[in-house]
Amino acid sequence: MNAPDRYERFVVPEGTKKVSYERDTKIVNAASFTVEREDHTIGNILRMQLHRDPNVLFAGYKLPHPLQYKIIVRIQTTSQSSPTQAYSQAIDDLDKELDSLKKGFEDEKTRFEEKLRQGY
Amino acid sequence: MTEKMMGGAGASRTSYQRYPRVRIREMKDDYLKFELRDTDASMANALRRVMLAEVPTIAIDLVEIEANSSVLNDEFIAHRLGLIPLTSDDAMSMRFSRDCDACDGDGQCEFCSVEFFLSVRCDSDQTLDVTSADLQSTNPRVCPVDVAANALSSAADGYDSAEQKGIIIVKLRRGQELRLRAIARKGIGKDHAKWSPAATVTFMYEPQIHINEDLMETLTLEEKRSWVESSPTKVFGIDPNTQQVVVVDAEAYTYDDEVIKKAEAMGKPGLIEIYPKEDSFIFTVESTGAIKASQLVINAIDILKQKLDAVRLQDEESDMKELTSHLGNL
Ligand SMILES: [Zn+2]
Repeated sequence: MNAPDRYERFVVPEGTKKVSYERDTKIVNAASFTVEREDHTIGNILRMQLHRDPNVLFAGYKLPHPLQYKIIVRIQTTSQSSPTQAYSQAIDDLDKELDSLKKGFEDEKTRFEEKLRQGY
Repeated sequence: MTEKMMGGAGASRTSYQRYPRVRIREMKDDYLKFELRDTDASMANALRRVMLAEVPTIAIDLVEIEANSSVLNDEFIAHRLGLIPLTSDDAMSMRFSRDCDACDGDGQCEFCSVEFFLSVRCDSDQTLDVTSADLQSTNPRVCPVDVAANALSSAADGYDSAEQKGIIIVKLRRGQELRLRAIARKGIGKDHAKWSPAATVTFMYEPQIHINEDLMETLTLEEKRSWVESSPTKVFGIDPNTQQVVVVDAEAYTYDDEVIKKAEAMGKPGLIEIYPKEDSFIFTVESTGAIKASQLVINAIDILKQKLDAVRLQDEESDMKELTSHLGNL
């Protein structure tokens, strides 16, 4: 009867920000990003993409609790970059990778269908 | 303004992007097997997770029972109706009912819902099956997948099989009746598994197998046979002509380590080395029929792109914080 709505797991509540940024008070060029209503899907690809950036000294994410539908991404960079720059760069690169993957998949699908047609 | 340039989108940022390669091995409407290379496990797993839980389909979500004298109670039937896969090619362009501002979710709205009717009464002594074929859709593009498939196949070859009976919802005896109105909505597997378009999505690392041929040749034929047999799956075989051990099917290997242990037990450590190729994956995708397996992959890529877009930083605030942080560090 008092069960929360199922969509609470993936709909960002009104008045809440999807991404909030908090700078580390002790370490330079370090920050935490709290991403609402995301999980390992985004957390892990972001982390791995950040690791490809040589200016990133640390990148990690955690899902603090299975009933808190958010992840926290922590980034520390060299002075050549900044957490926000690395974060945005990682998203851009992943986005472009998916563009390339989509094109590659569609081309391969067309090629495969053509091959099947020739076979018959 | 110079500080803002440092924190914001500078023109000289280098990209660490990858260019994945795809090769399709097998493709049917509801089955797809393909290789994905030049990316990592996080991307493979993100795609798998999105295919299972975040690519939308259409499923029955609200049922109004007008009459039910069957042996199953109302909610039991409502649940069964929800699990029937519906053709969902339009799901990507549909609206979620909760986001729809054109309606109040009453089922009449063309943007977010499809209405179904079902009315069956048994008047004979023989048990009557109520099936997915009895569901009357108000939108011909959205109907039970088995009904859609049969319409296609019977149009093509004109014979009907036992398979054509449809998915059984409930059975009725003489005098029993089921009448209802149902509303199908767009949804995702994360909300309820009935909306998942995927029956299974799996990926495995492509195994790389190195046989130490010199060491292998120190084995007798009998030892080779016993070593080949130690694998629970048929990965290796013996060439009948050369009597050499060969890899028959590398992908049958389940990373069970049995052949490695066997080699050690035979006093031949290093006989075999097997590594998972960390940037090479073999995907198997099975669809429920709601959308084609190949479309499921394409939709998953689109959804993942939308998700990434949603987690982008809002420019103004991040730049402002970046600016103050830079000033603070000086
Ligand atoms: Zn609507």
